[in-house]
Amino acid sequence: MKERVAIVDGIRTPFCKAGGVLRAMAADDLGAVAVKELMARTEFPPEQIDELIFGNVAQPVEAANVARVLALKAGLPTSLPAYTVHRNCASGMESITTGANKILAGQADVIVAGGTESMSNIPLMYGRKMTELFTGLFKARTVGARLKAMLGFRPSFLKPVVGLEKGLTDPICGMMMGSTAEVLAREFAITRDEQDAFSLRSHQRAVAAIEGGRMAEEIVPVPVPPSYHMVQERDDGPRAEQTMEALAKLKPYFDRQTGTVTVGNSCPITDGAGAVLIMAESRARELGLHPLGYLVDYAYAALDGQRMGLGPIYATSRLLERTGLTVDAFDLIEINEAFAVQVMANQRAFESDAFSRTYLGRDRALGALDDDRLNVNGGAVAIGHPVGATGTRLIITLLHEMRRRNAHRGLASLCVGGGQGAALALEVES
Amino acid sequence: MNPSVRIERSAEGIVTLWIDVPDKKVNIFNEAVITELGQALDEALAVPDLRALVLRSSKSSFIAGADIGILRQLTDENDAAAKARLGQRLFERIAAAPCATLAVVHGACLGGGLELALACRFRIVSDHASTQLGLPEVNLGIIPGWGGSQRLPRLVGLGQAMQMMLTGKSIDGKRAVRVGLADRLVATEFIEAGIQAFLAAIPAQSNAARTPSRSLRERLLDGTAVGRAIVLRAAKKSVLAKTAGVYPAALALIDLVERTYAGPLDTGLEDEARVFGQLAISRVSKNLQQLFFTRESLKGDPGLPYDGVLPPVDHVGVVGAGVMGGKIAWLMTHRDLDVRLKDIEWPAVAKGFAAAHDCYEQLVRVRRLKPETVNVKMHRLSGTTNYSGFGSLDLVIEAIVENLDVKRTVHCELEGVMGDDAILCSNTSSLSVSKMAGALRRPGRFIGMHFFNPVNRMPLVEIIPGEHTDPATVATVYALAKRLGKTPVVVKDCAGFLVNRVLLPYMNESTRMLDDGVDYARVDRVLRTFGLPMGPFELADEVGFDIGYTVSQVLEDAYGDRMAVADLLQVLYKEKGVLGRKAGNGFYVRNGRTAVENPEMRRILSTLKTPSTPDELSDAQIVDRAILLMVNEAARCLDEGVVANAAYLDMAMIMGTGFPAFRGGLLRYADTRGIADVVESLDIMSKRWGAQFTPAEPLKAMAADGRKFYNPETDG
Repeated sequence: MKERVAIVDGIRTPFCKAGGVLRAMAADDLGAVAVKELMARTEFPPEQIDELIFGNVAQPVEAANVARVLALKAGLPTSLPAYTVHRNCASGMESITTGANKILAGQADVIVAGGTESMSNIPLMYGRKMTELFTGLFKARTVGARLKAMLGFRPSFLKPVVGLEKGLTDPICGMMMGSTAEVLAREFAITRDEQDAFSLRSHQRAVAAIEGGRMAEEIVPVPVPPSYHMVQERDDGPRAEQTMEALAKLKPYFDRQTGTVTVGNSCPITDGAGAVLIMAESRARELGLHPLGYLVDYAYAALDGQRMGLGPIYATSRLLERTGLTVDAFDLIEINEAFAVQVMANQRAFESDAFSRTYLGRDRALGALDDDRLNVNGGAVAIGHPVGATGTRLIITLLHEMRRRNAHRGLASLCVGGGQGAALALEVES
Repeated sequence: MNPSVRIERSAEGIVTLWIDVPDKKVNIFNEAVITELGQALDEALAVPDLRALVLRSSKSSFIAGADIGILRQLTDENDAAAKARLGQRLFERIAAAPCATLAVVHGACLGGGLELALACRFRIVSDHASTQLGLPEVNLGIIPGWGGSQRLPRLVGLGQAMQMMLTGKSIDGKRAVRVGLADRLVATEFIEAGIQAFLAAIPAQSNAARTPSRSLRERLLDGTAVGRAIVLRAAKKSVLAKTAGVYPAALALIDLVERTYAGPLDTGLEDEARVFGQLAISRVSKNLQQLFFTRESLKGDPGLPYDGVLPPVDHVGVVGAGVMGGKIAWLMTHRDLDVRLKDIEWPAVAKGFAAAHDCYEQLVRVRRLKPETVNVKMHRLSGTTNYSGFGSLDLVIEAIVENLDVKRTVHCELEGVMGDDAILCSNTSSLSVSKMAGALRRPGRFIGMHFFNPVNRMPLVEIIPGEHTDPATVATVYALAKRLGKTPVVVKDCAGFLVNRVLLPYMNESTRMLDDGVDYARVDRVLRTFGLPMGPFELADEVGFDIGYTVSQVLEDAYGDRMAVADLLQVLYKEKGVLGRKAGNGFYVRNGRTAVENPEMRRILSTLKTPSTPDELSDAQIVDRAILLMVNEAARCLDEGVVANAAYLDMAMIMGTGFPAFRGGLLRYADTRGIADVVESLDIMSKRWGAQFTPAEPLKAMAADGRKFYNPETDG
């Protein structure tokens, strides 16, 4: 990139398990809370923002172009254009990289980017047959025609189509995301125990981050509708009482008989949103701002949907090519924990010469993702993965931790359902 | 002289009478307009081949009613009835016109305006939001006098007509068509085309009386004596339940309609004029007329004169997220301001959110707002525990605990984070604004802005400039209060300001009555019968003993013995830990939705008081002890210039405490009693119950000079 893009500040809502505390808030509500708080904390003049770009996966039917809806709910000017981007689990990152492109192309000076997801509110739908029956009924003009249409009804038509399940299934290879994780477990021979141990550590790290007040720095507490009597101040996924024994008791969810992936070593479905304010580094300097950090460069890559969990290594490989950096150059790394096994598979692939040769056209391994640099404040297995918002959170969480450690360079990466990966190189002033 | 009515003849035998009262923003009926309209009518009716007569307004509204100034001057029953007959006769001529008559209603069409429209054979209405049709006479203690009470029920049916006339509420164009009051709704932008299409469609000579279509239910109710009795009895019951019969106009209207609905129109009109005459000169109506003018005067009052351009107020902070802060936040967001709500801890902030949301829920329940709108408005509210975002706010309202030192500390913190031009308001209920401003670097930007609890019900806001407050600050906060839909009254910076200073003696005295063995529920009952929305002990429960006690102390410190905190209040709050409704241990406890006397309180009281002469007070004595003590303090306030005039003081007490409007206000009540009688009663009470009753000097002077608070010449 021709110039670094400053991430002036970032804020997010607590991440809460779907169907739980935040269930009365739609994706636009969550996003609006994050954006409003971002504007309040930065006190940046709203009229100087050129556009709002938000990532969202399960776009609500009642809020088409959820970005525009949440921008207005957040109190941004009516004159501010806004649009929604969708790159599945990378949508939160896509909003930032798209915004960066616009800024560097001279199309915009200041952009609010972010991601939001309310997995609580992904609807159940009528199936095709019931929909056709309704269509027939609406078209029927006479009593006879109506009766005829109704006679076609079968109780089985009432079986709902679960939107969430459909969304988490790759329509090309027909596999649920969890099943693609099982593919990686087998390919890299990662055992159930290893996955559970990784998951336990994710919880422990996340709990430590919460208890140490580190997470609070990036979270705006949310008074919870519909009554607002209670306030949610923290992520509710991480469990201080998590144990190996408890994890071991869980049945594999996607492959009941031979599988290793359980709800305990996968990320929970979650509600949440995050937002960042971005502009060219030069602009931030002109305005005398002290940005949280900078986007240096980024890369997306694609691969077979059945192995989508390996997206991070494909994308990182391209990022390293573009920047000339090595894995060692990154002081801290966030790789989204869609599944424990999927992050572990990446760790193994990063260390494997053979993997690099076979899949990346490289001679040697990219280099190890050491545990003490990787997901140091836990990850989605504990915190949760509101698909459209996670990309934003990874960047916010990473930059805050980099500042705390006085680290210079960070890598944020995630795998994307359908077979893609994203990798962003970030820096903070040092 | 500018004629109020212009005649326009177009081809096809159509004559339009354009009503345009000179030098007025809206059309108001007065005698000149009536006369000129009559002349114009003569001229129009003389036009050969007249097919249709169209009545329109040249202004942005139709006709807003009759001149209340004339009403106020009426003192003779027959005179008033004659005035009504004058308008009735004109409207009867319109109704009898040998051609089609059409009123084109766009904008306000109220009182006499609607009565004119009702005299027409047809009415078409615009769909503009400002188009409102109603008969609000009952709000002035009178009834429609120009045929409204006769023509409206005959046109739209008893139920709908009684609802409109008894509540005084207007309806919009769409609803007017739905209830059969208007014949057609037209798009505001296509009003001309709408008139032409309508006129083209009506047959010539179409002036035959119309038989409105009625549903079976309406035919049964309106068309039979039994049905009518059911409707009117229900109306009467509802009026009595709401007002306890203190507003005679509503009851007189029901009786009038009962007598006349099924009979011939001309005897009905005669009866209407007679009843109008009686009511127009009644005490209650005169009181309500006075309040109308006070309201008008307050509407036009700019607070303190200020010529400069006012800074925008769009982003507001509220510090202190208690019930008060939360409800202020509700008010602001409801009026589309962005609010940053600050408290020390997040759970406290959430309480403020909940208080705001409660107010919205009430509006959703009565269908004034949709849940989607509430969602959007709630998003205007954000919380913080550390003043983040306060640097870009235009104005901050501090609504924390009533303690001078704490307030000062918070004000200093706020000055440190707020912009230099931002305004800081304290929602103090009693503390001196100038004293609070002492520690500030920018006292010019500091002011008292006192909301009344519950904020969503009480229209009053006291604006209290301190010694150093800039005129621009006063004007900005005054304008903000108006924008919030409140009635601001500028008052002087004294302890308790106006309303609490006048009210607290009443609270203390009521409490002292218990020492004399009077039952508290009886005191509440008697004062409710007097007209107050709740008695002093119900009020104490609502306000909370902690807050009541704090304010009482501030006032005792400032005014000495005459405002001494009642011993019993001290005992109940300090020793017995009574807090009121919020702790469920006040004089009353909730039993479902109703309040019942608290047996625990009864027990406490029985252990405390040793009545020497138990419960010998008459109801009238209870009223005098409570009310005249307020008059005494109000006279002092007026004398000290705490508020601009008696009318504003009365309005403030009505809007801040719910003092009964039919009495015209506290001082109006004193006028009605007679100042000499007030002074004498105070004198007698001072000998029996203490020096707090010693008549205030200004009262004594007034009694000596035979003066009243209101000018009997101009104020009726």
